[in-house]
Amino acid sequence: MKKRMTAVLLLAVLLCSTVLSGCVTARPEGEDSGKNITVAISSDTGTMDPAGSIALTYLAYSVSALDELLTYGEDGEIEYRAAKSYEVNEDATVWTFHLREDAQWSDGSPVTSGDFLNTITRALDPASGSGYANYLFPIENAEAIYNGEADMSALGVETPDDYTLIFRLSEPCVYFLDLLRLPVYTPSCAEYADSVDSGWDKDPETSLANGPFRLAEYVPEQYFVLEKNEYYWNADAVNLDTITYRFFDDTQSMANAYEAGEVDVATSLSSTVMEAYEGQEDLYVADQIATRYIYMNLNVTPLNDVRVREALNLAINREELCRIVGSDTEPTYNLVAKYMTDRSTGEYFVDGAAQPFEENVQRAQELLAEAGYPNGEGFPELTYYYPTLEMDSDTAQVIQEQLKENLNITINLEAQELQANYSTRYSGNFDLCRMNWTADFADPYTYLSMLLSNSTYNCSGINDPEYDDIVEQSNSESDPVKRAELLHQAEQLAVGEQFYIIPLFAMKSVNLVSPDITGIRQIPASGALEYRYADTNA
Amino acid sequence: MLKYTVRRIVTGLISLFVLATITFFLVRLIPGSPFQRGGVSEQVVEAVEQEYGLNEPVISQYMSYMSNLLRGDLGISYQDPSNRVTDIIARAWPVTASIGIAALAVSLLLGTIAGVVRAVTGKRYVKELISGGSMLAAGIPGFAAAILLLLVFSVKLKWLPASGLMTPAHYILPVTALSLYPAAMISRLLSNTLSGELQKDYVLFARAKGLGKWRVILVHALKNSYLPVLNYIGPASASLLTGSFVIESIFTIPGLGREFVGSITNRDYTLILGLTVFMGAVVIIINLFTDLLCAWLSPQTRRAYRKEEF
Repeated sequence: MKKRMTAVLLLAVLLCSTVLSGCVTARPEGEDSGKNITVAISSDTGTMDPAGSIALTYLAYSVSALDELLTYGEDGEIEYRAAKSYEVNEDATVWTFHLREDAQWSDGSPVTSGDFLNTITRALDPASGSGYANYLFPIENAEAIYNGEADMSALGVETPDDYTLIFRLSEPCVYFLDLLRLPVYTPSCAEYADSVDSGWDKDPETSLANGPFRLAEYVPEQYFVLEKNEYYWNADAVNLDTITYRFFDDTQSMANAYEAGEVDVATSLSSTVMEAYEGQEDLYVADQIATRYIYMNLNVTPLNDVRVREALNLAINREELCRIVGSDTEPTYNLVAKYMTDRSTGEYFVDGAAQPFEENVQRAQELLAEAGYPNGEGFPELTYYYPTLEMDSDTAQVIQEQLKENLNITINLEAQELQANYSTRYSGNFDLCRMNWTADFADPYTYLSMLLSNSTYNCSGINDPEYDDIVEQSNSESDPVKRAELLHQAEQLAVGEQFYIIPLFAMKSVNLVSPDITGIRQIPASGALEYRYADTNA
Repeated sequence: MLKYTVRRIVTGLISLFVLATITFFLVRLIPGSPFQRGGVSEQVVEAVEQEYGLNEPVISQYMSYMSNLLRGDLGISYQDPSNRVTDIIARAWPVTASIGIAALAVSLLLGTIAGVVRAVTGKRYVKELISGGSMLAAGIPGFAAAILLLLVFSVKLKWLPASGLMTPAHYILPVTALSLYPAAMISRLLSNTLSGELQKDYVLFARAKGLGKWRVILVHALKNSYLPVLNYIGPASASLLTGSFVIESIFTIPGLGREFVGSITNRDYTLILGLTVFMGAVVIIINLFTDLLCAWLSPQTRRAYRKEEF
């Protein structure tokens, strides 16, 4: 009997051990020697193809592995990457880039102008699923090609030789250099990068990099490893041997993994981490180039009355709101992100002009009375649509309470799943809708263009020819000081006079970084962390 | 028996068909598009949807999906077109199945030992201890147990890893969290029926014939007591094998549950459907298998089936 029991037990143990060992996946390589760091990022979504459907995975990968033509450093100076110089004609419509002749892909082959064109032509096919394709539309005929109305040969991009790349724009675009950091302007090796669904982008053999690191291993849903690209033209400046990115579903798991010592960097954590790590070296708080605001539907009575819109704006106490929502938020009264730098002055752009408006509950009550709703009487109930994220839910409740108390009006709350909220916003079927915008590129235009009458992000029925005209003018104004003036004027009109939106707050990103790591930089355009030239003494 | 099995397979296939149909129309009722993200313009979303045939009438989309499904083609993931849905399932299921099977084995082992000891022991405090323990294990929700285990053993004590599934040590916490509840259930079911069984005449007879106490318990009484346990294990193993959304998310395990949650968030229609159909098939197969096993174990049921055939 005893024998049989032992046999059963042994069998069970054997079963467990085979199950356990059978499915064990390899440990990320290179943890034993050299300088390695592990970064925790949000879950695996989207492709690594610059012409494909871009989400978090690409953004993490490209920061370390792909060189754009040029970018702006933290000091606002141009940092040449794949290009060594550029020229532009008088009216900012023809941009010529001279590529670095010593730039190589991670297999040793040269990086040519055709590789840049490769991404552009592929992204202009809607089947690519590229969400950034519309940033190619300043190029001659790009929009028509995307819509199937013109042939690819009509595209205003020329490659006279391997090291020259010329863009012809249909209209002047003074912020064109800022667009170059976007995926669609980033090269993909023409030899392998043929389509978005062939899988070249996640196979280390074919996924070539022209930046400091190259893809060494990719395990879906778990992690990917980048290793130093020995063919990189500036390889001497690169210190790390590998960077491992591990995917996490939620920020609490990330913080746990950091606490347990499994990752060296954990990004985009919740504000509670800020309080838990207060005063410790690990805490790395960075400015996000983003604004949270509310769209008011101009087709809905009484929001079509500018006095009502002003009253709502003036009656909200943003200091109190941010105190409740979390220490990673700061009040803002602008549409343009609070921490976006104006390169012509080196200061924050929004500091270059007076605050568009000031909160004033008494004035708000007067305005509401003037609009025909004294003490909120007869004011229809409005519904506020927002995503079920914690931050937005808290915001909604605070605003509901403040407007009830200050204006005696009732706001109904309608929490939606994030995707459903996007749909509500795009359909324009709302009274009030939450909006968040993170800058795509480091120019106020990324914000101000959203309120143009013909913008696809203009979901609240704004149609203001005067505003359109000022923003239009700024596009061809090459004097940075005059241009900044125009942009400030446009913002004042939209936010401080017409009150088209309700700006709420700017955000900070909360990260944990091991004190052993040095040289982490912040990308000025987006606020994301960059590890290209990081080092570690661990 | 054969007739019964065939009939069960046919109803299973019909259930799968109904499941796929309902899910197909339900996912299209959720607002949102697979290609909509915070920063993607409506123009781009429309162009891409057209490219993937999502602008066609829902009925014709349904027809083409179903005809592909019949050929075993679950389509590509909209989120990442270089991945086929079948590849994603082939990648994620072994992960889920490995912790599921491990949890099943652990809970069977623990549950059986605890159940037998509780039924057999004469010591009151052992009985109370096991009852209390199983009550506690069954009472704490899985996610709470998981977070508790995580905080104690990896964040505070740093004995075990907190995330991923890279070494055998990574299995310990999620498997423990997953097996607590089923182990408690098994021990309670088993000890109740086993106590009843031990009162029966055949046990007395076997003992009178001179068979050893443990031989009677483990060979004769235990086999007869396993029936309710098996009825419980069927659905339980189906749920273990299709992945726990919460546990996989807490421990960052790249399994089916995590894929499923992600696919819904991303409105990845083909992936949602593919995973639903696959999980449905697993549940149906396991239930069929348990029913057949029960029949084999219990002479009464076996006879009932046989009668039907004649």
